[in-house]
Amino acid sequence: MKNRLRVLRAERNWSQADLAERLEVSRQSVNAIETGKYDPSLPLAFKLARLFETAIEDIFTDEN
Amino acid sequence: MICSTNNPAIKRYNYRAAVVMTLYVVFLLLAVWVFKLHPPTGVAAYALAVLPSLPIVGMLVVAGLYLAEEKDEFIRNTQVQAMLGGIGGTLAVTSVWGFLENFVHVPHMDLYLVFPLFWVFVGVSMFVVKLRYR
Repeated sequence: MKNRLRVLRAERNWSQADLAERLEVSRQSVNAIETGKYDPSLPLAFKLARLFETAIEDIFTDEN
Repeated sequence: MICSTNNPAIKRYNYRAAVVMTLYVVFLLLAVWVFKLHPPTGVAAYALAVLPSLPIVGMLVVAGLYLAEEKDEFIRNTQVQAMLGGIGGTLAVTSVWGFLENFVHVPHMDLYLVFPLFWVFVGVSMFVVKLRYR
């Protein structure tokens, strides 16, 4: 699943470690999600959406 | 899975693993020593023979507790993948070896080797999983 995490992060000038700290997950988790290698659970996706004050669909897009 | 970290779940895992592994060494040495010097009989012999295996079972509980307590879903996912690899590798090797023992009489593999074999495969699997998410 594609996502705009890198862009959203860059807009706020956050590093992966900054985002990981805000999400209370590891930096490896942020990296795996950001590179599309790991799709987060619904609760974590909602947490991301709340953090970036946007909808889940604005962060993640179905490749199909 | 043991490593230095700020993750509280891994810290608890490291502590619990150190406790059960220490118990394993103590119980094993005790069992070897008693069976060598004053071999017990009957129920006592069975109880003492089983004693070193209890921390082994405890280690599985410790691993299960870690998975239950790990809040980082991605890390938990990678650990589960590594453990599944460990289970698969162990089942594969022990099954193949069992048939080899039956048909071509290769050296007997003692069952207590299954547990360390599992962790070897967990380690190998974790390496592969980390490569995948690098």
